[in-house]
Amino acid sequence: MSRNLWRPTVLSLFLAFMIVPVLATALFSISVRWDRSLWPEGLTLEWWQKVTAKTAFRRALWNSLWVSGLTVVISAALVAPTAWLVHSRLKRARWLVEILAILPFGLPGVVLALGLIRLYAGNTVMGMSTLLIAACVTITLPFMYRAIANALEALDIPTLTEAAQSLGATRGQIFLRVILPNIRAGLVNGCLLVFAATFAEFALANLLIGTRMKTFPIYLVEFTRFDARQASALACLSFAIAWIISLAILWVAGRRRKGGAGAG
Amino acid sequence: MSLRTTLRNWAGLLPFLAFALAFELAPIGVLMRSAFTVEGSLGLGNFSRALTPVMQQAFVNSLGLALASALLGTALGLIVARAITTSRSATTQNMLTALADVTANFGGAPLAFAFVITLGSTGIITLLLKQVGIDLYPAFRIYSLSGLVIAYTYFQLPLAILLMIPALLGLRREWSEAATSLGATGRDYWLRVALPILRPSLLGCFFLLFANAFGAYATAWTLTGSAVNLVTVQIAALARGEVQFDPALADALATLSLAVMLVAVGLCQMMMRRRA
Repeated sequence: MSRNLWRPTVLSLFLAFMIVPVLATALFSISVRWDRSLWPEGLTLEWWQKVTAKTAFRRALWNSLWVSGLTVVISAALVAPTAWLVHSRLKRARWLVEILAILPFGLPGVVLALGLIRLYAGNTVMGMSTLLIAACVTITLPFMYRAIANALEALDIPTLTEAAQSLGATRGQIFLRVILPNIRAGLVNGCLLVFAATFAEFALANLLIGTRMKTFPIYLVEFTRFDARQASALACLSFAIAWIISLAILWVAGRRRKGGAGAG
Repeated sequence: MSLRTTLRNWAGLLPFLAFALAFELAPIGVLMRSAFTVEGSLGLGNFSRALTPVMQQAFVNSLGLALASALLGTALGLIVARAITTSRSATTQNMLTALADVTANFGGAPLAFAFVITLGSTGIITLLLKQVGIDLYPAFRIYSLSGLVIAYTYFQLPLAILLMIPALLGLRREWSEAATSLGATGRDYWLRVALPILRPSLLGCFFLLFANAFGAYATAWTLTGSAVNLVTVQIAALARGEVQFDPALADALATLSLAVMLVAVGLCQMMMRRRA
């Protein structure tokens, strides 16, 4: 009996721990009031309407979206060719690239921000938003590199390269038409992780930009200090965004893999 | 390989190397140089100045929080991952792995706020427990160090699960059958066979979670402001110039926490590699 019960018990406790805070936030955001009684004192959409009607809200959401989007594009463009190179023609340099790509794991956001401020604050050529994107690319390097490197390690690169070369493909063509389609799932996975991490990034945005250009998490933290109900709507929204993006990209990656004809 | 090809290959690495130099190595270098410089010459003066009682307490708190949430995350992660991998229904397995995937990305500010709603002084679990006669407050506070351990475990646990699942899938059924046929109980099997095999993965997971928690800032800041004294909170305050402006002091603190992270990440890499 006890042997059969441990699994459902563990799994339900896990589910409860992961889901209750999110559900509670969702319910709180549509409650008239929920701090005195066991159940919400009525339901309302007022807080959602109030918070989403603000222009500052839209601006913060937009800021986070373009910062995350650019971070993903730059990170992929920087990491994918590099990872391919050190997995094919330049294996000698692999240790160097791996160290540089893993190092940010041990680099707390606040420490990186402090170093960047020391180096580039007051730099007129590079605006602080450019600096924020560069910092986000740096801090998420391990996600992008690991995802792409794992995909590359599963490939027989020499055979693919020889086959492509014998058909007269140039280096650029080999990378774009042979390697990239074959590592698409890993690349998508890396982009997903980088986007989610950047969208939620608070330390870098807070220290590098502060209130001059509010990103979504900064806007949210501001609200937690003076209006819990509107803040809960914002928190739900950021859970939902992280969730939808994760699922959408996982779905795309799964479909590609199932379809098999990735190279088409 | 001709010289030209070699040069061309290295040239292909340049964008990445230049980027890493500008935004990864140079910032660290500047911090370290400033931390080790006292009045223009090399010295450790900034470190002795940095380790005031308040800062020492910050390191004690940060190390304790990272240790506790990493231990909790790794232990619970192992148990939940085991429950997931031995579950018979493939749907359950996929759903729970997807849940871990998604929740590993729920961190920082929104998560902290969700915990205020759930376990804050008027949070729903707090109210619920009050109904059955258990008063969480004031003995427990989500806005405290122990509260942070719970909040951190929320993002540590899914990460641990994702790390442990592949390791657990590597445990062959024959090994447990062989152990049983030799008269081993379930406990013997875990203590003498499974855990020693899983040890590198468990240690790697632990150090990764440790580093993850030590460097975390957003959750703590959203939950407690500067009420809980943590290293990252102190560095952030110094970086914003909120408290007395002393760059070398902040740089010394940053360098010290980099040393902690370096040890943790180094051990993590070593342990993870030994698994292969």
